[in-house]
Amino acid sequence: MAMSANRDRPEDSRYEEEDERLDCGRLLTDVWDAWDTGRSSDDPHFADCPHCSAALADLKGLGDAVRRSCAQEPGPPDATAVTARVMDLVRLELRPGRPLPLGEPEEDHWMVEAAVARMLRAAVDGLPGVRAGSCRVTPLDHEDPTGELHVRVEVAASLGVPMRDLADAVRARIAEVADRDIGIRLATTDVLVVDILDPVDSLDVFYEASGHGGYGEGNDGTDTATGDHADGRADGYGTGAAR
Amino acid sequence: MPGDGNQLTERVPDAVPSDEALLVVRAGEGDEDAFEVLVRRHGPTMLQLATRVLGDRADAEDAVQDAFVSAWRKLPEFRRDASFHTWLYRIVTNRCLNRLRARRPAADLDSVPEQAAPEHQASPARAAESRAAADALAKAMAALSPEQRVCWVLREMQGLSYESIAETVGISLQAVRGRVFRARRSLTEAMSAWR
Repeated sequence: MAMSANRDRPEDSRYEEEDERLDCGRLLTDVWDAWDTGRSSDDPHFADCPHCSAALADLKGLGDAVRRSCAQEPGPPDATAVTARVMDLVRLELRPGRPLPLGEPEEDHWMVEAAVARMLRAAVDGLPGVRAGSCRVTPLDHEDPTGELHVRVEVAASLGVPMRDLADAVRARIAEVADRDIGIRLATTDVLVVDILDPVDSLDVFYEASGHGGYGEGNDGTDTATGDHADGRADGYGTGAAR
Repeated sequence: MPGDGNQLTERVPDAVPSDEALLVVRAGEGDEDAFEVLVRRHGPTMLQLATRVLGDRADAEDAVQDAFVSAWRKLPEFRRDASFHTWLYRIVTNRCLNRLRARRPAADLDSVPEQAAPEHQASPARAAESRAAADALAKAMAALSPEQRVCWVLREMQGLSYESIAETVGISLQAVRGRVFRARRSLTEAMSAWR
């Protein structure tokens, strides 16, 4: 609502009529603009002219009051209380997404997409050098809401691991967690590398690593055997400059 | 330092952490934990902005709370190539503008709260002087129109360029110039009377 409520007002275009011509002939807006843009020292007139000097002194006095006022602030405010209130409200209006089938079709068990995605993202985050972004879980066949599922996960990855190996590891990890920990039937998993993580960036600032480490450790040797298509792409679009 | 403008530097946002885009996408898909990280990360900056615009901490907390809840609702439509910080900044600014507009038009200047003294002041005399200047400025600011006040705070306290203000508030560059000019005029008059 508020986003489009602002527009120019009729008086906005007429402010120049209120501009003041100082006794030396300069316009007040020009004098202040010169100060703003650092041009006031280039023009000897400003130092010599009592009218311009007075106008600049007023502006400097205001600037001084602004600096003192800001210096009175005790530093960046503590937003802990606001954060808590915001999150209380946010948790009242979650966006769970669509229900997805758990187990076999006849079981009639369901889990919402946001909860499935959360577990899959956490699983990806547990791998070294990779963080999950978007994670969408949808029925492979939209006509059959109880059928097999498709996962499309975007990740940001550190340099140093071949992207193909990384995509394979992500896909294997997702298959493992989907099958063992969640109990959804995955048909396909697409992995897209969308960004490169800064090497200095802590990968686990807010989700603790879940202790799954290392590529090529085999993950019980069954990692890619659970019906994953091998069509996951690691096309790396936007790598490095996605922001 | 004469001649270098009024010592304003264009606000340079802190370096965006490289996980920001991931968190924004996750939050847009309903991951409230990711959103909480974003609220914690941007909360102090937004609270500072709102406190400066509104001149009242409790009011600012309400505005920022509304803004974040609104952001949570709108996140699914957030464009990935945009800056989350800029987007949030715009929402907070607009919430503040609405609150200023909803206030009684004739602000009671005596009702402007006195500022609490921070503990890090050098000398008592200078501290008192600074506090008096800050109070005088707060009273003078209360006489500005909501539109002038928002533009002026963004310019002089937040250090935004005229172009950034136009984009943030959603008005023309000319309108921003007019509002900042009128605000300055009103404030320099009030402050020169105080000095």
